[in-house]
Amino acid sequence: MARVPILRVRDLLVATVQEDLRDSDAQALEVDLGLALERTEAAGVIIDVSVVEMVDSFLGRLLNDMAAQAKLLGAQTVVVGIQPAVAITLVELGLELRGIRTALDIDRGFTLVRQLIRQERLRGTARAQ
Amino acid sequence: MTEMRNREQFTADNDQRAEMIAQQRRTISEMETPVIQVWPGILALPIVGSVDTMRAQQMNETLLDRIVATGSEIVLLDVTGVPVIDTSVSKHLLETVAAARLLGAEVLIVGLSTRTALTLVQLGLDLTGVTTRATMAKGLELAFGRLGLEVVPRRRLSVDPEAAEL
Repeated sequence: MARVPILRVRDLLVATVQEDLRDSDAQALEVDLGLALERTEAAGVIIDVSVVEMVDSFLGRLLNDMAAQAKLLGAQTVVVGIQPAVAITLVELGLELRGIRTALDIDRGFTLVRQLIRQERLRGTARAQ
Repeated sequence: MTEMRNREQFTADNDQRAEMIAQQRRTISEMETPVIQVWPGILALPIVGSVDTMRAQQMNETLLDRIVATGSEIVLLDVTGVPVIDTSVSKHLLETVAAARLLGAEVLIVGLSTRTALTLVQLGLDLTGVTTRATMAKGLELAFGRLGLEVVPRRRLSVDPEAAEL
């Protein structure tokens, strides 16, 4: 499988996973995302996993890691379009992914990530005063 | 010879009974998990009776499918009709909350009685991160708030514009 494209939309990065990820592709995504964040200084990341039908603990953990990594680089991450079967699997694996924010679809994902960015900025200005 | 026939009869009866039980189980499971859309964006799932693993799994699947199908952001999980909430039931409930959250929906648990609340506290169950309300009405109010909606009494129509001002 080819690599996951990471698109820049205004001040956001959008990664749309095209099909079920192999471990190596997932790892490549993590690295690519880190590099893209560094290069673009994006304020938010949206990861669309709506076509992913199968997950294992590795991918679950990786999603968590990517969100944590983005946070360290000053970006808010929203994972969108998790399928019901995937959600059930993740919960059964004990991976509740409390560190990541989620939305039903990419449209709501944009709304949520905007909201998170605004909150973060407000927190920043509050601290400065 | 008779014994063999008897045994055949017995097996046939048994099969029939098993079939009947399976059918009844299907009927019950169809009845037991209605997911109701109470408002665009708000689903309600009233649970009546005890929750075992099989039922919880089925409930979970139905709910998650409906969340995706209707694009709902809030689910009101009503536990008024659940007689006892023990460790295993609450584990199932928490799984539902976690799975729905992964999809991007928030689950509010409503209809907790005082006794249930006390039991949960005494069992030392961790419900942090789960929003709960005592009644369905309170939950619905909160859900409206989350969606930026407000329920206000309709202003009475009046011919007198000054009275309308008041």
